[in-house]
Amino acid sequence: MSLIEVRALTKTYRQAVRQPGLRGAFRHLVHQRYTERVAVDHIDMSIERGETVAYVGPNGAGKSTTIKMLTGILVPTSGEITVDGIVPHKRRMENARRIGVVFGQRTQLWWDIPVIETLSLLRDIHEMPAQEYRKNLDFLTELLGLDEFMHLTARRISLGQRMRADLAAAFLHSPAIVYLDEPTIGLDIAVKERIRGFIKQVNRELGTTVMLTTHDLGDIQDLCRRIVIIDHGRIIFDGALAEMTDAFARERVLHFQLRTPCPTAEQELQRIPNVTVSGLSDTELSVRFDRAFISARDITGAIMQIADVSDFRIDEPSIDHVIKRVYDGTLNLAVRKGGGA
Amino acid sequence: MRLILRAWRRNAYLYRRIMGQNLRAALEYQSDFLLSVGSAMLTQVLGLVFLGVVFSRIPTINGWGFWQIVFIYASIFLTEGFASLFFEGTWRIGYFVNHGELDRILLRPLSPAVQLLSSAIGMNGIGNLLVGGVMIGESLTHVHMVWTPGKILFSVILLLSGIVIRTSINFASNCSAFWVKNAGNAVPFMVHSISEFAKYPLTIYAPALQALVGIVVPYAFIGYVPAGYVFSTSGMAWIAVLCPLVALYCAAVAGLILRTGLRQYESTGN
Repeated sequence: MSLIEVRALTKTYRQAVRQPGLRGAFRHLVHQRYTERVAVDHIDMSIERGETVAYVGPNGAGKSTTIKMLTGILVPTSGEITVDGIVPHKRRMENARRIGVVFGQRTQLWWDIPVIETLSLLRDIHEMPAQEYRKNLDFLTELLGLDEFMHLTARRISLGQRMRADLAAAFLHSPAIVYLDEPTIGLDIAVKERIRGFIKQVNRELGTTVMLTTHDLGDIQDLCRRIVIIDHGRIIFDGALAEMTDAFARERVLHFQLRTPCPTAEQELQRIPNVTVSGLSDTELSVRFDRAFISARDITGAIMQIADVSDFRIDEPSIDHVIKRVYDGTLNLAVRKGGGA
Repeated sequence: MRLILRAWRRNAYLYRRIMGQNLRAALEYQSDFLLSVGSAMLTQVLGLVFLGVVFSRIPTINGWGFWQIVFIYASIFLTEGFASLFFEGTWRIGYFVNHGELDRILLRPLSPAVQLLSSAIGMNGIGNLLVGGVMIGESLTHVHMVWTPGKILFSVILLLSGIVIRTSINFASNCSAFWVKNAGNAVPFMVHSISEFAKYPLTIYAPALQALVGIVVPYAFIGYVPAGYVFSTSGMAWIAVLCPLVALYCAAVAGLILRTGLRQYESTGN
């Protein structure tokens, strides 16, 4: 059995319908109306020990709701979850001993006490032996550079420092699974890289399973081999990152630099099916095409016959681009559902 | 049984640890601390002055003398002092629920009740404790009575019961935040203001009000019933036996409300 097993997991929120204005408020007081909003809709997922999984989707897709059910904060409306053999919301505290969580938007630290005291309180809460605490603290201090701000309260440290402290708090008790909900949100590149490096190292050295939600495609590319995409509460892709780019990032763009202007080139190329051409200037052309229908060689061949090409380059699509198109609804990945790891 | 005992010991230890940190943080804002203690004391002294004015015209109320009523009055303050000094966190439940901060609490392997109770320290409680304590001391020296070790022991139990009852009522009423989802939830303040009635002997009220303060929201078991025991008011001593039971009952109800609330907690976006 996998470390995390999710079957037909569903969460429905009940929302009050309120008319605008004072009259609406009064009317709501007397006659309450509610609508149901399905945040997570029958999702299935299995995650193995030691995996790093990117859990991606546009705002409001159901990412955080899923994480909150996996951590036991929310009780599912229906469906099943087991995490390391435990049903999280039924045995929340037991589950809490084995997991670490970072919500990028919100700190887990005690606001008014020094970071080191927070860690020491967490040691007691997790009933860690002194030796293990010492060892983990040294490890985290070195990797995350906690020294700089260890003795300051959470209130006084910067966002980047706070995130590092939050990561330390999440990893302190050597959890088997760590859920990171947007851990690099609002951070500068230097801190992002440090945090990514840290996550990679912990995953490699301690075999910690990592589930990461993010809007930062650098995070995904850097950290995760597997990607799960959720939209409107449903999982629309689950598979290897490389597989996704191979299968769906088929679009390429060829950029040509012409030595002399060639007014007919654009029209000529336009005749080839499945190709869109845009001329940037008299001597610059961009050709967008689908690799499945036509090759770069054919296009280059065609243009060489009519124009004097001085230089060209080819743009590969980024994951960024693919995911953006999935969000926009222009790329339908439904066929790839349940691809597996 | 051993396991339960161990869990309670752990809870008590962690509660102390967290409160110790809260205390250190609170003491950093010294002027704030002195101000809140001072204003709490002033409020109560004014209440007492009011009571004095009433008694200068009416020597007894329903058979209760001035110092006996001072005792009831002060019991309400004393337990309020304990509740705010040690369990101020009850008043922050609404904040935790409305801001999704409860998430953080649910992610730690420690009872949510312990974490909520220890989430704040109410230094103004010291003012209530001081005034309440002095008033009770005064009232006991002004009324003649015989103290036996048994009576002292049971009086301490009554005080502890009173603290549990008050904290439980605060806790339960603040848990209404799980259902009343707006920032200015008035339920806990409404319930808290009922304790105003409990500052005087229950018998001066109409039956409906007696039922409210004696049964529905049993504040009467904090001041009035213990006073009946301490001053050996006829027919009331045996009712005081109920105090520890009422305390257990209140704590159990509060726990049940918390559990029900947690089951349907919806966190916040993101």
